[in-house]
Formats: sequence, structure tokens, C-alpha cells
Amino acid sequence: MTIAALVHVVVSGLATGSIYALVALSLVIVYNATRTLNFAQGEMLMVSTFAGFTVYAHVKLPLVVVMLIAVAAAALLGWVIERVIIRHAIGATHFDVLIITLGLSLVLRSAAGLAWTHDEFPFPSFFGTRPIVLGPVRVAPVSLGIIGASLALMLGLWALFTRTRLGRAMRAVAQNQRAARLVGISVERVYAASWILASVVGAIAGVLIAPVVFLSSQMGLVAINGFIAAVLGGFGSMPGAVVGGMLLGVIENLAPLYLPSSIKHSVPFLALIAILLIRPGGMLGRVARRKV
Amino acid sequence: MRVLLALVIAGLTTGATPLPARAQQGVTDAEILLGGSNSFSGPLAFTGEQATRFGVDLYFKAVNDGGGIHGRKVRTVYYDDGYKPQEAVANTRKLLEQDGVFAIIAPQGTPPVVATLEYLEENRVPLLFPFQGSPITRGRKWVFSGMTLYDRQSRMMIDYLVGARKFGKFATLYQDDEYGKSFLTALEKDLGRHGLKLVATESVKRGVTDVSAQMAKLQAARPDVLFLVLTPGPGAQALRERQKIGWSEVVMVSSGPLTDERYLALAGDASEGVEGLSLWPDPLTSDRPGVKRYRDDLKTYLPKNEPNRYSLSGYFAAMLFTEGATRAGRRLTREGLVVALEGIRGFESGILPPVTIGPDHETQRQGFWVRVERGRFKQLTDWLRAE
Repeated sequence: MTIAALVHVVVSGLATGSIYALVALSLVIVYNATRTLNFAQGEMLMVSTFAGFTVYAHVKLPLVVVMLIAVAAAALLGWVIERVIIRHAIGATHFDVLIITLGLSLVLRSAAGLAWTHDEFPFPSFFGTRPIVLGPVRVAPVSLGIIGASLALMLGLWALFTRTRLGRAMRAVAQNQRAARLVGISVERVYAASWILASVVGAIAGVLIAPVVFLSSQMGLVAINGFIAAVLGGFGSMPGAVVGGMLLGVIENLAPLYLPSSIKHSVPFLALIAILLIRPGGMLGRVARRKV
Repeated sequence: MRVLLALVIAGLTTGATPLPARAQQGVTDAEILLGGSNSFSGPLAFTGEQATRFGVDLYFKAVNDGGGIHGRKVRTVYYDDGYKPQEAVANTRKLLEQDGVFAIIAPQGTPPVVATLEYLEENRVPLLFPFQGSPITRGRKWVFSGMTLYDRQSRMMIDYLVGARKFGKFATLYQDDEYGKSFLTALEKDLGRHGLKLVATESVKRGVTDVSAQMAKLQAARPDVLFLVLTPGPGAQALRERQKIGWSEVVMVSSGPLTDERYLALAGDASEGVEGLSLWPDPLTSDRPGVKRYRDDLKTYLPKNEPNRYSLSGYFAAMLFTEGATRAGRRLTREGLVVALEGIRGFESGILPPVTIGPDHETQRQGFWVRVERGRFKQLTDWLRAE
């Protein structure tokens, strides 16, 4: 294997990893605020991307506008789901809510099939696939673009959580809901904001990855790897989600270079088991030790 | 209920003469009921939808408007298996035991079709023209294969590429399932006949997000030809990946089921120069009389649907059934249909070369070579055959 090929495979893995990281982040945002695992995250991402695509297919608007439409659709979807379904289950156990989101994912996938068929569609891309040659190394603009855009979004999220009143409120709720309420934070508003924010981050991931894996009702399955990424990094930790996603993307690509390629799909799970054996809380997670 | 009514009426009108042998399931005086399990969701949903509702049903619409087969209209019922074998089995049982179909027509995909073989044979139900190519369907009494079987496709591809084109180094990127593996076995065997071997093989699973590692390994083996034995999504991803790494000196060759405009549309300009074995004439431009009639029927009945190879294949399957059922006569039975189909010699479909079925139950044995030029398949050879 030449160095050039190795670089390409790693960069390609980082691009896929960025998407895992974004999905992981959106899972963590909802989890931190509401202690709920959102199994419908992948399908929400898929439906938002389809919403953007529908507009694109009818009136060929610039891609930036398409992305904004997807983001708006995602915000609406996140808000509606939180307001109409999740909030009514506020007193239910986490396990009940988890099953609700699981059901929601199936409903959204079938609904997408009815609305847009289960076909695969080519999705326009911000970036080209023709390689840029840098000395002996070739890299695809699409990979660099995905990595760049994801990093920019992560930076934006970091700023939101550290620099704004809303972000601080969200962190406060994550740490201690009762204390947050006592200092006058509206927990309900934080819930809604978390769902909307997570949905929007997912939609951007969807628009970035759709040109690569093609848009289809199956696209939401990317959330499984997002979930693994979040656990790898330590569920609940946002930097952990980013590191976990990137690591997963790279491992997933490097493993088949040296092992039979059919093993590729078990690698994420093997990595997960290995890391949890060494660090039960994930790479950047806190270990909650239980006394026995 | 209708069968019962038909029997009672038959009994009354024939008076003293004894009742005819037990009526055939799925056939009444007015109707023939056919069915199939197919992909209406999952990775082959487009193919399934097109082959059945826009292909098989299109031809039967025209047949029914023309008075049906010996006065019987043809009705179809389909269920979705999402390319899952266990669902295909459940659907097929339902078709037979609840809907009471006469025969199974044009189900899709090697794993689902193979899963239903035993059940259909036990119940002596004709399995007609499945859209799959594993040779496992060959030589079975109740099965008539549909597309040119993979071992024949492989032989045509290898003989053409080694013989006429003088290529010597081959590699394969295949889907990790029955479809990919049975193709792979056939390719290895045919290369063996020429004293050659595959220099590299890599597999992808369905729902893959990135094929860069596989492509890097394949490129390192420096093949002249890379076979793609995939479904449209991963197939198009492999073409994009080839463009990303600027790997221009390899000839990409797509397998028969993959060689369709659909996969070109997904790959965009990365598909330029791709070659393949096409099993069907160009549905948009071919001036063969059967293809013209297909386009006319589409315009009449389903004007919104674009012509494509999948719906053309379903259209052809329904045409072949109609030919068989017409030959079987007014007294249609499963046994009679099998005998009638076996008797087809030199049938002019106007779509494929004359069809002769015979005892091996293979309905198609040919394909021709194509190359993508400016986003469309251009025909490079006449019909190739593997006898």
C-alpha cells in the first residue's frame, strides 16, 4: 500500500467520521438535556434532507438555500416531535421514551417511503469528487469539504454552549435539572431547544453525506454508527462524541486495508467492546463507579 | 367463493355428466390470478416497483384490454419483502394459501427467491421468470429462469474480454451475499478455463458508507479490468471513488443486473467509460418492434413513467407468460402451463432474439456489450451468446 493511498483512505475515513461525529453530537445534545436516547435521530436527519431535496427537485435553487430549507424543516420537525410527543411522556421512564423514539424512527422511515419512495436519489454536492493533486497525494474536495464544514459547525456549537445564555442554560439543565429550575431556567424551553438544535445538526450532517451515500429512506441508518461514536467517546461528552466519530470513521476504513474487507462492519463493534473494557465510561467520559 | 360458484354453475349446466377434474387454483372462468413477493422497500425497491407495477402489470393491462387470455383477464397481487429472505417466504405462503394464486411471477433478488424454491416445488407451483441469475434455479421442473443466469453472463464477459479485447488481469468488487458470491464463483471458473485468476477480490456489504479501503486495495493489485457485482447505490459509490483517486487506467465492468441507466444517474459523470453486459436493448432508443410497443403501452397506460430496463424486463416476463398460457389452451392448469412453456421454440418477442425454452427452462441466454458514452450506454457488439 502506498503512502498516497493510505492518506486518501484516512482522509476519506475522517470525512465519514465527521458525519458520525455530528450525529453523535445531536444524540448527546438531546441526551444531556433530557436524559433521553433519541433513536429517531437518523430518520429525522433523513426526512429533513428529503425536505430540502424536494424543493431542489422542483425549483433548482442554489444548494445553500436547499440546506437552509433542510435546516428549517429539521427545526420544525424537532420542535413538533418534542412538543407533541416527547413532552407528554415527560413523566414516563427513560425506557418508555426510548421505545417511543424507536417507534417514531420506524414510522418516519415508512412515511418517507410513501412520500418519496424507497428509491435512491443522487443529491447535489457543494464539493466535487475530482481529486486535487498535492505532490504524490491526491485528496477529494468532497472529503475535505465535509471535514471542514463539520469542524466549522462543531466550533459553532462550542461557542453556543460556552458563550450564550441558552447554551449555559442547556448545560445547567444537563448538570442538575432541579437546581437549574431553582435559578429560574425554564427546563421546558431547554428541552424544546435541545430537540430543535439536535435536529438541525442532524440535518446539516444529512445534507453533507447525502451526495456520498445517496439520498434514500435507508440513510437514517448512519445513526447507528453515530450512536457507537458517542459511546466510544463517552456518552454525554461533546468532545468525546467528536473524537469518537473521527476515530470510528478512520478505524472503519483502515481495518479492511489490513484485514479481509468483509470484516469492516464488525470493526466498529469490536472497537467499542475493546474501549469499554479498558475505559468503561468511554474515552472522554466520566466513570460512574458503583460501590458493590 | 368464485371458484365454488363456477363449479356449481358448471355442475348445473353439464347436467348428468360428471364434474370436471378439480378446478385449478387461481384460475376461474373470468380470471387468472398471479402473484409475487418483491422489493418495494429496501435496496432494490426501484427495480421491484418497476418490474412489477410498471412492467408485468403494464403488459397485462394491454392484454386485458384486448380480451384477455382465452377470455380470462389477468390479475396480479404483490407483497413487499424488502430483499429479506424470511419475508419472501412468508409472502409466498400468503400468496398461495390466502390469495390462492395460480403461479408466482417475476419475484426479485437471489436470496429471497432461493428461500422460496423448496416451498414452491413441494406445492408444485410454477415459479416464473424470477429477476435473479443464480444458476441454482436451473433444471428444476417448476422453475423457469428469468434473466440470463450468472454463469452464462460470466462466460460471455470473460470470453469477450479475454478473447476479443485481450485483457489479462481481472479483479472483482462484489456484494457480500448470494448474488455476489455466485457471480464470483462463476468468474473464477471461467478465468480458470483461460488459465487466469482473479488478481484481487474485495467485498462490500449492503448499506456501505465508504468503499475507499476496498478500492485502494484493488488498485494496488493493478488489474486491467475491475468487475462490479453490486446493486446501484454501492456500484455508483465505487465509480465515484474511482474518480476521487484518479484511477483512470482500469476498465470498470458492471454485471448484468447492474447495467442500467439508473446506476449511471446516481454516479453522474463518474460513469463515463464504464462498460458492461447489457441483458436488454435500450428501452428509450431501441427500434425493435417489441420495445416500441412497450413504449407505446407506457404512453397509453402509465404516461408518467420513464422507460427503463427493469420495467421492460417485467413487461417481457408477462409477455412470455401470456404466450405460455395461450398455448396451454382454455383448460389452464399448472402442469399444462409448464408443458406449454417447454414447447416454446423461436418465439418472436420483438424485444430479445427469438426465444426457445426447452427442457432446461432457461428463457434467456444472451446479452451484448455496452460502454457509457456521454451518460448513455452505447452498444459495442451484437448479441453475445453462451451455449
